[in-house]
Amino acid sequence: MAPSRAFTRLAAHRRVLGVVGRQYQLQRPYYSYDHPPPPGPFNQTEHAILSAAYTHVPEHGFTQHALSLGARDAGYLDISTAVLPDGPFSLIQYHLITKRQALAPKSRAIFNALDAAPGDGAKGQTMKIDDRVERLAWERLLSNADVIHRWQQALAVMAQPSHVPASLRELALLADEIYHLSGDGAVDPSWYTKRGTVSTAYVGAELFMTNDRSPGFAQTREFLQRRLEESSKVGNALGGVAQWMEFTAVAGVNILRSKGMRI
Amino acid sequence: MAARPVLRTAVRAVRVLPQSGPSRSCSSSRHVRLFSTTPRSFKSPSDHATSTSSSTDRTTHFGFEDGISEAEKTERVAGVFHSVAESYDRMNDLMSFGVHRLWKDHFVSSLNPGSSSSIPPKPQHILDIAGGTGDIAFRMLHNAHTIHRNTSVHVTISDINPSMLAVGKQRSLSLPPSQQSALSFLPADATALPASILPNSIDLYTVAFGIRNFANIPLALREAYRVLKPGGVFACLEFSKVENPVLDAVYKRWSFSGIPLIGQLVAGDRDSYQYLVESIERFPSQGEFRDMIVDAGFVVGGDGYENLTGGVAAIHKGMKPLDG
Ligand SMILES: C[S@@+](CC[C@H](N)C(=O)[O-])C[C@H]1O[C@@H](n2cnc3c(N)ncnc32)[C@H](O)[C@@H]1O
Repeated sequence: MAPSRAFTRLAAHRRVLGVVGRQYQLQRPYYSYDHPPPPGPFNQTEHAILSAAYTHVPEHGFTQHALSLGARDAGYLDISTAVLPDGPFSLIQYHLITKRQALAPKSRAIFNALDAAPGDGAKGQTMKIDDRVERLAWERLLSNADVIHRWQQALAVMAQPSHVPASLRELALLADEIYHLSGDGAVDPSWYTKRGTVSTAYVGAELFMTNDRSPGFAQTREFLQRRLEESSKVGNALGGVAQWMEFTAVAGVNILRSKGMRI
Repeated sequence: MAARPVLRTAVRAVRVLPQSGPSRSCSSSRHVRLFSTTPRSFKSPSDHATSTSSSTDRTTHFGFEDGISEAEKTERVAGVFHSVAESYDRMNDLMSFGVHRLWKDHFVSSLNPGSSSSIPPKPQHILDIAGGTGDIAFRMLHNAHTIHRNTSVHVTISDINPSMLAVGKQRSLSLPPSQQSALSFLPADATALPASILPNSIDLYTVAFGIRNFANIPLALREAYRVLKPGGVFACLEFSKVENPVLDAVYKRWSFSGIPLIGQLVAGDRDSYQYLVESIERFPSQGEFRDMIVDAGFVVGGDGYENLTGGVAAIHKGMKPLDG
């Protein structure tokens, strides 16, 4: 099956790069004592702390401090954050997962609105798959807006060896979601290439966005469109992922350097 | 048995050399050695436990010897730690390939005691169970007082064995006075905590390399749950199951044949080391232990545990729910 093939290839690639990390499990078990788990990957407690902490991210970043403030807001103790398995990385995952999950309802709204629009221009139904992909990737980028000034720091955390597998997997899931929502049902040899294309373009644009001061992030959108066109020409998806990992690694090192670490 | 004191004396002369770790002062090791020659003759709070009818009736296992009573196990365990109190560092070194200090560092920094979102920081009460010689407690005080400059963190070191506590007390004398005054010592059996520890009063309950020795682990977990505040955290560092089968085979071979032999040669005490190895083998797997924690009422995040060094050890954490 295509998704698992993609994952295997990412895993193989990880070995080549010599990245060590906890094996990411496809299905993590979640435990809650007497409540049914809420929908999604976080249990009740994790969800309560993380959702409260997330509101502190614009001011305090994806940090332990934001987690502690969230725990306090949700009625927990300072020490309660210790049960989150990955500390601040859990908060980053919360962002990645909730924003990915928010894409489906948004996508319905966007394409339905286009269908309902007068005239016979770019109707949701008749829009080309590539254009729908671009539109969805852009929508996902826009949902970073509130935390974009904290995102370089998040990338540095994601680039830590133990977090790379989970970060890459989340990226793969986003690419899957975008293609799924774009209505591309094709399962053929182009499957992996397409996901690679959108992944690479997305992360490139995301990094660009962290420095974009143009109104409405207009330059980021131009960047995204260029990258989608270029990558579809080159079509070298694996190369793209390697490029991204290099990218985040470099970004991470630079940020740590700027914080006074000697690397 | 008759030959053992002779062997001990012989080994003792050699032991001066491998004696490691700057933290061990001469006086504390001499103090413990005194106990270690008379392992079964001490009186401790475990004797209170033995007098309760429930713990004499139930049976448990001592290493692989099944069918002994829980009270007897509690007593035998106390004996073991008398006889190895002095060399427990070396023993941890053998079982962990020398990395148990790194595990302990990681354990404490992952809990990050003393970190607080409030100004001034909220006080925290930490209970370090089976805290023996203070290894975990001292690290927590360092994390709270030195790193977070939060001196409102208090640590109670508790152990069933008064001579282990005596070692901890002795070692604590080299801490800064402010940290010494944030410490207290409490002889207690983890499966029957005394009334002086109030229900819902503890922020963080830790137990490092101790829980596998408890006669009744579910009971100890229930006690932990009882004394923790809602939102409080149970955290355990313990030897666990190596998950890679090849490494597991190698590790088993090392622990079952190598370690008791070394125990014999270095400490003149094969039985104690044999017990340690077997108790590790008998301890539940990561997943089973996580389920026991959940059964006691705790909530866990993610998988509920983190493997260290491929599963040679593991950290388990659980939180008492707010409505708990
Ligand atoms: C290997 S030592 C661990 C010491 C220290 N926590 C460390 O990490 O190095 C195990 C300790 O568990 C204690 N212990 C055994 N059974 C106990 C019980 N039922 N209640 C409390 N402590 C117990 C022993 O006295 C001993 O000090």
